[in-house]
Amino acid sequence: MVKGFAFVCLMCVAAGMAWGADVTVSGSGGSGKVGIDLGGLTAAGQGGALKQVLIEDLKRSGWFTMAAGGGVEVRGQCVSGGGSARIDAEVINPATATRYFSRAYEEPTATWRRAAHRLADDIVKAVKNKPGMANARIALIGAPGGKKNLFICDADGQGLVQLTRDNKPCMTPAWSPDMRTIYYMSFHTGYADTYSIELGSRTRKKVAGFPGINANPAVSPSGQQLAIILSRDGNSELYVMSTGGGGASRLTRTGEAAEASPCWSPDGGQIAYVSDRSGSPQVYTVSRSGGSPTRVTHRGNENVNPDWGADGRLAYSSRRGGRYQVCVLDPRTGVETQITTGGADYEEASWAPDGRHLVAAKTSGYHSDLYLLDTLGDPEVRLTTMQGDWYSPAWSPR
Amino acid sequence: MPRTIAYLSFVLMMSLVVLTSGCKTKKPRPAATDGEVLPGADTEYAMPERFEDGERITDVAFENVLFGYNQYDITGAEVAKIEAVASYLQQSTDVRLIAEGNCDERGSREYNVSLGENRAQAVRAYLISLGIDGARVQTKSNGEEMPLDAGHGEAAWAINRRVEFALYR
Repeated sequence: MVKGFAFVCLMCVAAGMAWGADVTVSGSGGSGKVGIDLGGLTAAGQGGALKQVLIEDLKRSGWFTMAAGGGVEVRGQCVSGGGSARIDAEVINPATATRYFSRAYEEPTATWRRAAHRLADDIVKAVKNKPGMANARIALIGAPGGKKNLFICDADGQGLVQLTRDNKPCMTPAWSPDMRTIYYMSFHTGYADTYSIELGSRTRKKVAGFPGINANPAVSPSGQQLAIILSRDGNSELYVMSTGGGGASRLTRTGEAAEASPCWSPDGGQIAYVSDRSGSPQVYTVSRSGGSPTRVTHRGNENVNPDWGADGRLAYSSRRGGRYQVCVLDPRTGVETQITTGGADYEEASWAPDGRHLVAAKTSGYHSDLYLLDTLGDPEVRLTTMQGDWYSPAWSPR
Repeated sequence: MPRTIAYLSFVLMMSLVVLTSGCKTKKPRPAATDGEVLPGADTEYAMPERFEDGERITDVAFENVLFGYNQYDITGAEVAKIEAVASYLQQSTDVRLIAEGNCDERGSREYNVSLGENRAQAVRAYLISLGIDGARVQTKSNGEEMPLDAGHGEAAWAINRRVEFALYR
């Protein structure tokens, strides 16, 4: 019996099935959790902190529970100190006595947490055959002293880096596919203009400064184009333009409506956006080359902030019972799932690169923080714990 | 001849639209269906290049134009405020103006940028319909970022849903 189960597991891993083999399944929370035993991973020097980051990453991934004698074992050591952090890890399936992988992770002290993040993502990939999110970043807007600026943090809310010091309203950061550039909208000159910030050199360039607004930039999967809201022709409309700043072409013609919040389909063929042409803000999709838009949200008296996930599902905030709740819609089946409930507002949801989680701004009592939401039902996790409001999150593509 | 008839029917239709719209004065722009191109509509109210020079006029002030929640229609009581600005602009031909659209704190922050802009654009279009040269009027949206009243009730929201007039010489 055990032998048979192990054989099936082995076959699943060998076949590289999208839904990996679950060695041990626990009853609570998201489906398909595997027990993982880190007892054989020793920690020397300040390596204990490194191991703790790994434990939190694995729990947050939604795929693992910490369990002695679990279906996955991690052996090796965490060492930190002397200017660097290092994990030597061997990841094993004890049931079959097979090794998933054996790898070393080294980072300079400044980025020591990433050694654990990279290992966590490799474990998710090896055991569940799914992309992880631990080593991804989140661009966000924060107002720690009441003044708004653009920041980046890690997937666990740590490692906060401030990118701007304008102390002026800004919003909607968007990552280029190569993660070298962030596009966002800032009011720092007084106008709603779109800028790019090259992360390596920290240089900022105005990308769109047409008369009127230049709002809510969204980068195409190719990295070549922005979907953006302009009003240069006399009304808020959806346009597509080059990330270099030229050639804006108009996709919507709704003289009596406001458009907002575009995002791209994973193949770059379509754009989802918000329009109030029906009398309230709702989510529509339109071909990247124009044509007739399709309304995709029909429940809730407002549907805003769409984000199109890599697996084709759309997340958005739906106003229900006076609160914004995050919903996920599969446009192919029309099946909609409400992810959040309760008395807070959840807005600006952004898909994690793992395709399972979302980060959203949760506002309660006029205070906003970023929360990690799980489409498979694990409890939400608060990511920002600093003073002030934190919102407008955008997960990096990987 | 058919052309004249078509023109007359158009005028008649437009008069009916004006008559039937009652106290709710819509932005004077033909309604569009998605995907339908309206000849002239793109350029008719196209925006001038931004003017950032000039001296802000502070000794003349006009009342803010107010709006309903998620609305950018200019309703009955607000029309007179725009008409007052139009007659001032007709007298003071060297003055230019920025219509600045704002929203209350409710609703999507991103949508509110577009909503604030459409409010400013509605005021601009109304000024143009009153004979003001569109080149003298530009728009700006502050979204929900610049409330006049930082409170959280209907009284605060009502004065925050507004278009302000910034005059420059």
